[in-house]
Amino acid sequence: MNGQSMDNQKQKNNGEDCPICFQNVSFIINSNQIINNISVRIDRKGITGIIGPSGSGKSTFLRLLNRLISATTGRISLDEKSYDTIPVRELRKRIGLVQQRPYLFAKTVEDNLTYGPRIWGVSLSKKDLIELLDKVALPHEFLDRDVENLSGGEQQRVSVARSLANNPDILLLDEPTSALDIVSEEILENTIRNLSQEGIKIIIVTHSLEQTKRLTDQLLFLKDGKFIEKTSTKEFFHKYNEKEIRGFFKKKESR
Amino acid sequence: MSLAPETEITEMLFRILFSILLLTLIVLLSYWQNINLEKVFTWSFVRGFIQILLMASILIVIFELRDLLILYGVLLFMCVFAAYTAKNRFPYPNIFKLELVAITTASIFVMVIVTTPILTIDSTPISIIEREGTYIIPMGGMVIANVMVMTTIVLERLIADIKKSKGTIEAALSLGDSSWNSVKPILKESFRAGLLPTTNRVAVLGIVTIPGLMSGMIIGGVNPVIAAIYQVIIFLMILSAGFIGEIMIGFLFIKELFTSEDQLKISWFNPK
Ligand SMILES: Nc1ncnc2c1ncn2[C@@H]1O[C@H](COP(=O)(O)OP(=O)(O)OP(=O)(O)O)[C@@H](O)[C@H]1O
Ligand SMILES: [Mg+2]
Repeated sequence: MNGQSMDNQKQKNNGEDCPICFQNVSFIINSNQIINNISVRIDRKGITGIIGPSGSGKSTFLRLLNRLISATTGRISLDEKSYDTIPVRELRKRIGLVQQRPYLFAKTVEDNLTYGPRIWGVSLSKKDLIELLDKVALPHEFLDRDVENLSGGEQQRVSVARSLANNPDILLLDEPTSALDIVSEEILENTIRNLSQEGIKIIIVTHSLEQTKRLTDQLLFLKDGKFIEKTSTKEFFHKYNEKEIRGFFKKKESR
Repeated sequence: MSLAPETEITEMLFRILFSILLLTLIVLLSYWQNINLEKVFTWSFVRGFIQILLMASILIVIFELRDLLILYGVLLFMCVFAAYTAKNRFPYPNIFKLELVAITTASIFVMVIVTTPILTIDSTPISIIEREGTYIIPMGGMVIANVMVMTTIVLERLIADIKKSKGTIEAALSLGDSSWNSVKPILKESFRAGLLPTTNRVAVLGIVTIPGLMSGMIIGGVNPVIAAIYQVIIFLMILSAGFIGEIMIGFLFIKELFTSEDQLKISWFNPK
């Protein structure tokens, strides 16, 4: 949590072996610094959790990774290749994003699941579709349902399945279980774990510390557009007690 | 053609004075209903009246013209004015440029087509409309005005729908879709929205309405059947120019809205 360790972090980033890499990245809107000179290295394997207060820039960070927005300054790279050398649409296919709010396409659930693959000339079989529904704990008869009539949690799961259908290498999840009951949440968490075991990198934003304990290998704590902590999840909960963690979420960082 | 004789002018003066009573009525209604448009009504009528009076005096000169180049110059000026008027409805950058390109290209293109001679009868060249100021200017003006209205509807619709569907558009982009594809349904709907009012006007032609051009020609003493044919021609001109203008403004706008990296331009959604 001190300046020293963050400086070491920066040096590491400039070296070799930086699978998902931010170097001095800032994102500024109307002179409002939303991401503030971030340098971070994220493993290519496992599940990385991002936590932090509301408005700290977590969603913005994921949007930068999916390149829905571009960094104002700094460099983002994937497997040592700078983002501006990778064709953007290809990049987005490889780095799937499940947005915080499920913005679904008209009209049916099936339309949503087939949307991504169709862009790439792939058609999904009935079996593929059913598998996708299983992964997000939705009943099979949901395929023909109009998304207009789905509950918030159901929409959220369709949105996850839609990104999964696109077969990404890296999956960015922005609070994917925020609207789910505990059983659906558990099924989705199992799916996330399985995906990770299949070699898909997961980066998940969550407000649930319990979920980070259950799911993540590594934790990044984002505050005011800066990572103030990056460590293994185990170490994080070993190092800080609940009161200290609570302190991180408070308005001003207590030093 | 010359200025009207004196008695006619006196008559007209009375006509306009009495019709101002109607303006007073409008203002009173606005005041009564608290619509707060009294100033706007009065000002736009005064402004419109002066403009059209000026135009009328210029027309006297222009109608005598047979030089197509000058006539097209007048149309061009009308296009600039139309684009400027359209621009004022949108608090966004570059709209004037987009409107100007769309309105001018679409209108002039159609006007060139209708004034190009197709055949000659008794060594007189025949084109869809007559190559004279009396036809080119008013019909061109109608085309330009309608293209302006139609492109404005398209833009309004596009901007509203894109703002509403920003999340869905980004969802499509985030899966690797192209910017064009991500807005295709919205674009289609906005084209329809722009075309439908005019199409509806065509559908009720003659039964519900006798539109401006035809009425004008009939009042001017033209045979109603000939006036009717011209009315159909003007609608075809309006719809074709309108459609071209719509497609142009739609595509130009979408190009303006996305970066070369298939991202929605943030500045559009965060006006300072
Ligand atoms: N397009 C934008 N225009 C203006 N401000 C923005 C924009 N996008 C994000 N912000 C601001 O940037 C900050 C970070 O937003 P972001 O959505 O990344 O936060 P977050 O950490 O995901 O919050 P939450 O936990 O509430 O989802 C917020 O203060 C937000 O208001
Ligand atoms: Mg967020």
